[in-house]
Amino acid sequence: MGKFSRIAIANRGEVAVRIIKACEELGIETVLLHSEADIHSRAYRMATKTICIGPAATAESYLNIQANINGALAGGAQAIHPGFGFLSENADFAEATRKAGLVFIGPSPESIRSLGDKVHCKELAKQAGLPLVPGYQGENQDVAHLIVQAEKIGYPVIVKAAAGGGGRGMKLIKSSAEAGELIESAQREAQSAFGSPKVFLEKYLDRAKHIEFQVFGDSTGNVVHFFDRECSVQRRHQKIIEEATSPSLTDELRRRMGEAACAIATLGKYQGAGTVEFLLQDGEFYLLEVNTRLQVEHPVTEEVLGVDLVKMQILTAQGEFVHDPKQIRAPKGHSIECRIYAENPYLGGVPSTGTLGHVEWPEGPGRRYEYGFDDGDTITPYYDPMIAKVIVWDETRSRAIQKMIRVLKDSVVFGVHTNIPYLIEILSHKEFVMGTMTTRFIETYFSESLKEPTLSETEKKVAEGALLQLRGGGESATSLAVSPWASYWRGI
Amino acid sequence: MEIKVRIDGVDHKAQAQLIKGTLWVHHNGRVFTVDAGTGRKSRKKAGAGGSSDQVMAPMPGKVTKILLNPGSAVSIGQAVLVMEAMKMEYTLKAEIDGTIDSINCTVGEQVALGKALVRIKPTTDK
Repeated sequence: MGKFSRIAIANRGEVAVRIIKACEELGIETVLLHSEADIHSRAYRMATKTICIGPAATAESYLNIQANINGALAGGAQAIHPGFGFLSENADFAEATRKAGLVFIGPSPESIRSLGDKVHCKELAKQAGLPLVPGYQGENQDVAHLIVQAEKIGYPVIVKAAAGGGGRGMKLIKSSAEAGELIESAQREAQSAFGSPKVFLEKYLDRAKHIEFQVFGDSTGNVVHFFDRECSVQRRHQKIIEEATSPSLTDELRRRMGEAACAIATLGKYQGAGTVEFLLQDGEFYLLEVNTRLQVEHPVTEEVLGVDLVKMQILTAQGEFVHDPKQIRAPKGHSIECRIYAENPYLGGVPSTGTLGHVEWPEGPGRRYEYGFDDGDTITPYYDPMIAKVIVWDETRSRAIQKMIRVLKDSVVFGVHTNIPYLIEILSHKEFVMGTMTTRFIETYFSESLKEPTLSETEKKVAEGALLQLRGGGESATSLAVSPWASYWRGI
Repeated sequence: MEIKVRIDGVDHKAQAQLIKGTLWVHHNGRVFTVDAGTGRKSRKKAGAGGSSDQVMAPMPGKVTKILLNPGSAVSIGQAVLVMEAMKMEYTLKAEIDGTIDSINCTVGEQVALGKALVRIKPTTDK
């Protein structure tokens, strides 16, 4: 197989930056395969080479298999890293990559097919005797048939994209009245996000925790796990806050779930980084799905174990990475990740797009930032609204929470609104602090938009002084009474 | 830029920037925006709050499905159309009871923030 001298990146945003950094450390050049809309981004500026593979619409660029393969070949790469989302879990893409004489940095197309397709994965898990959530995973995708199956399972039922992940193409159905509309909506989202409208149904566990295990298959096919993460804080099935390790597992549960994770990955002949997701309710765990790719929240695992999963992925694809049986990995301290979404927390989280103004991520020990955009870059409406990830590490969970709140308060993002105020509220919530939150945490406590606080007298004066200074006026505004802006504050 | 404002003898440090007529301020762990022309807190964007006889686009995006036809009866909370932005679907709902007066968009259309997509004629006895 040999070492790569250049790797193509079939992705964008912060994950493209993450991959470029890993490549740089390994002395490997990069080719960024990007859309027309993404030239104002860090990855575009950082990559050794950039190739535009199509227009903004994902179907014509980031989801276009041939365009990505052509770009990688034209860019002189020997391998493609798919990141997460887009084509990362697409077996046809992995296969086309191989056929083009390139290495796909990830599992084989066969592994993706058997584990990545949620329906096949459940078949495999059944054979292995792993516990599954009751549901319907049939081929018949007729909406009327799916409604009948949903009735049979009993509401609430969740409908999910068979090829999906990341909360897209996923809907919670609470009654038969809304079943048809939601199933159709899930099928459309699945088609648009993953290129396949296939969905399946599952009984909705109403007080479950989302726990997942990072698995890693080395170049020889030996699979080990890198412990667990908890991602119970989800909105519309999209994770918002993740942590490692889970505050909810006993040693015994951790051992059993870790074994189950390795068992299914081994059955799927897994190579590289993958994640086995479980739901945990009343001390019982159920296999949810396997994500055959790097996970958005991989940094929290890296922080508690002191590993670099992206470099390990590349080394594995080069045939160079083998787990050392003598090495005992043990998690140390606690790590939390917050996803920063470009959205307005005071307007129910609607996406906020535009040109970024000043951006500042305050440095300090145990802080890590993964971001794809700088001052002057554009946040477009075409893609996922996640613009950055803030990761902290500290010795204990409570200190990590404290640190995260401080870091978020000190972070500055101008030009687009972000969910930072929302994240701070969540991190301060008693149930999160105690670690007892379930996947219904957000809908239970944060279903309404945040109420936008009115400006305090101090804030008004600060704004006034800022306007004067920015417009080249006096040193600072010292008195509201003499301020030319004073009259404007009335009626706020 | 970093600024310092003295209020009642105390220096307040802040970050501030003017972007297209909006002043962005980061002060004491919070970002807020102020309309630089009027000095008032920035107004909420279209589509937010209030009972409107229009269904407006709460963000820029694509119309993927129109669920009702002109003349159809509609009640509060009923889904009227579906939009897609940033790969997520958003179902837009009626805020009042009435009948669909006009539909001012087509499936597949890329619409701007705040565009009035559907107009609803309110039920008169309400």
